[in-house]
Amino acid sequence: VRVLIAEDLALLRDGLTRLLRDNGFDVVDAVDNADALVHAAKAERPDIAIVDIRLPPSFRDEGLRAALELRETVPEMAILVVSQYVEHAYATELLAAGGGGVGYLLKDRIMNVDEFVDAVRRVGEGGTALDPEVVAQLFSQHRTKGPLERLTPREREVLELMAEGRSNAAIASALFLSLGAVEKNIASIFTKLGLQQTPEDHRRVLAVLTYLQQ
Amino acid sequence: MRALRGLLFLASALFTGSIAFAVLLVGWLTVGLLAITPLAVPAAILFRAAVGALARLESALARSLIGARADGGRYTSGGSGYWRRGLAVAIDRAFWREQAYLLVRLFVGWPLAVALISVLGSSLWFVALPIYYRWVDFHIGSWQADSLQRAVLLVPVGVIGVALTFAVARGIARGWRGLAESLLNDDGPRQDLRLMHSRILRVHAFLTALAITVSLIVWALVGGYFWPGWVIIGTLLALVLHGWIYYVLSRDDWRGHRAIAMHAGITTALAATVVQIWAFAGGGNFWPIWPILAFAILLGAHALYERRRGPLEQRIRVLETTRAGAVDVQETELRRIERDLHDGAQARLVALGMNLGMAEQKLDADPEAARELVAETRVGIEEALRELRDLARGIHPPVLTDRGLEAAISSLAHTSAVPVFVSADVPTRPPAAVETAAYFVAAEAMTNAAKHAGATRIEVRLVREPSLLVVEVSDNGRGGADLSGSGLVGLRRRVEALDGTLTVTSPSGRGTTLRAELPCES
Repeated sequence: VRVLIAEDLALLRDGLTRLLRDNGFDVVDAVDNADALVHAAKAERPDIAIVDIRLPPSFRDEGLRAALELRETVPEMAILVVSQYVEHAYATELLAAGGGGVGYLLKDRIMNVDEFVDAVRRVGEGGTALDPEVVAQLFSQHRTKGPLERLTPREREVLELMAEGRSNAAIASALFLSLGAVEKNIASIFTKLGLQQTPEDHRRVLAVLTYLQQ
Repeated sequence: MRALRGLLFLASALFTGSIAFAVLLVGWLTVGLLAITPLAVPAAILFRAAVGALARLESALARSLIGARADGGRYTSGGSGYWRRGLAVAIDRAFWREQAYLLVRLFVGWPLAVALISVLGSSLWFVALPIYYRWVDFHIGSWQADSLQRAVLLVPVGVIGVALTFAVARGIARGWRGLAESLLNDDGPRQDLRLMHSRILRVHAFLTALAITVSLIVWALVGGYFWPGWVIIGTLLALVLHGWIYYVLSRDDWRGHRAIAMHAGITTALAATVVQIWAFAGGGNFWPIWPILAFAILLGAHALYERRRGPLEQRIRVLETTRAGAVDVQETELRRIERDLHDGAQARLVALGMNLGMAEQKLDADPEAARELVAETRVGIEEALRELRDLARGIHPPVLTDRGLEAAISSLAHTSAVPVFVSADVPTRPPAAVETAAYFVAAEAMTNAAKHAGATRIEVRLVREPSLLVVEVSDNGRGGADLSGSGLVGLRRRVEALDGTLTVTSPSGRGTTLRAELPCES
C-alpha cells in the first residue's frame, strides 16, 4: 500500500514513516504542510494519505480543508485524518465529502500499533475508521427517546464497533462472539433502526453513520 | 465606667477643640498668605506636622477613652524636591481626613461638651441643693426653693439629669468611635463606612429630638415668646440634610451624581435657613432672594461642570474595575492551568517514565513482565493525553478557532449530560475575544445547569445584531443560582472586560436564564 504523510511535527512525521515502513507500507512522501500535501497527492497518486488537521501556516484546520479538497480532485485516494482532538462536525464533513475510504482518528490511537496499522490498511482498501470518541459524540445526540433506546446493550456495543468501521470478524473477536451471533445482532439493529441491509461493509457503515448524524 | 470615660472623652473636646481651632486658623491663614511665595512649602509642612501631632493626641484619647482602633498622625513627609514635598502634603488624604476630624471635634464636639458639662453641673447642683438651699435664692418662675421640703423635691430632678447625661454621653461616644476609626487612620478607614454613618445619623437624630424636647420643656417652664421655633427648624433642617447626604452616599447607582446631589441638598438647606431667618426676623422685603440666587448659580455651574466631566470619569471608573477584574480572571485561570499540569500530566509522565525504566531493567531477565509494563505505560500515556486534551479544550477549544461559535457550542452540546438545543443566527463571525467570551458563558451556564440546577433541558440562543452578540442560555432547573459563586463572578468579569453585560435571572423553582450581551464592531 502506497502512503503519503502530512504532519508538521518532524518527530511525529519521522516516527510515523518508520512505523508504517516497518509494517510493510510504502511511504512515498512525507510533507509538512497542506500545499505540499495537495501537490504530492496529485503527483504521486498514493493509495492513502494520512493527514494531520493542524498544519502551518495558521495551525487551524488546514489539513482538513486540504483533505476535503483532495476528496474532489483525487477521489480514488483514501484519506485518514489524525488529530490531537476530535470533533464530530469534522467527521460529518469528511463523510459527507464522499469518495473512497475515509478515517478520522485521535493521534493517541497510533500508540496501539496493531490496531492503527489495521485501520490504515482498512481505510486504504476503501473502508472506514472512526475514532471511538467520534462515535460516542454521535451517539450522544440520540440520548432522548428514539429507536436507539430500543437496542439491547449487546446490540449497542456491536453498533458502536460497526460505526468505528470494523468488519464483522473484528467485531466478533473484540466482543468474544461468534461470527453468526454478530450477524444476527446486526440484522436486528438494522430492523430496529429501519435501515436497508447492504452486504458491503463500507456502505453499511455509511448507512449507520448517516442515521447517527440525523 | 464606660459612660464616665465617654463623658471624659467628650469633655476633652473643650481642650483639644480649642487647640484645633488655633492650629487650623493659624495654619490656613499662614499657608493662604504665603501661597504665592516659596515659603508656602515649609509653612504647609509645618502645618501638616501640627495637624499630625493633634491627630496623634486625638488618637490616643479615642483609643484610651472610647476604645477606638485609631492610630492616626504617624505621617512621614513624602516627595523628593522642594515643590514636590509641598504637593505631597496637599495630596495626602490622611491630612484632609485628620482636618475633617478636628473640624467635627471643634464644631460638634465643643458645643456638645459645653452642653453636657452644664447639664451635669446643674444636675449635681440640684442634688446638693438641700445642703445649701438656705444661702441661695433659687426659683423657677414664682416657685421658690425656700424650704428643705422644696429643696428635696429637686433632688430627683438632679439625679435624672446626671443619669441622662451619662446615658447620652455613652451613646454619643459609641457613635464617635466609628468617626474616629474612619478619619483617624493613616492607611484609610478601619470601619464599614456605611455602618458607621448610619450609627452617626442615629445619634444625630437622637440629639435633635433631645434638643427639641429640652427647649420645649424650658420654654414651657419659662414662657415668653416661642423661641424654640428657631431650635426646631434649625436642628430639623440639619438632620434632614444629614439624612439626605446619607441617602445619596448609600445609592451605588448614583456614583456619578453624588457630588451634585449633595450640593443640591446643601443649597436647599442653606436657602431654607435664609428664609427661616427672614421669617423670624419679621418678614418684610424678601432679601433672601439674593443669597438664594447666588447659591443657585453656584449649583448650576457645578451641574454644568459635572455634565462635562461626569461621563468621562464614570467611564474611567468602569474601565478601572473591569480591567482589574480581567487581570484577576486571567490570574486565576493561569493558576488553575498550572495546577492541572502539575498534578495531572506532569505527575503521570513521571510515573510512566519510571515504568519504562523498570521495563528496560527487566527486558532480558523477565521479558514477559517487561511487556506488561510497556503495555501499562501505553495506557497511562493515553490517559495523560486525554487529560491534556481536556485541559487544552478548557483553555481554548480548537473548533472555536477553526469553525466559529456555533460549531463550538454544538460540539459542547454533544458532550453535555443534559439535552441541549442550540439555535444560532450568527452570519458573520464576531472578533475572536468576543467569540471566546460567548463560548465560556455558554459552557459555564451549561455546566451549572447540569451540575447544580438539575435541569433536564437546556436552550442556547445565539443572535448576532449589528453591533452586538447576544448569548442566552436558559434551563428548566431549580433556579435560585448563587450569583456570588466563583463561576458566575468570573464570567461577569470576563464579559465586562469586553464592555459587555451579563444578566442572570434565576427565580427559585423556575429555571435559570443567563444572558450576555457583547458589543462587537462588525
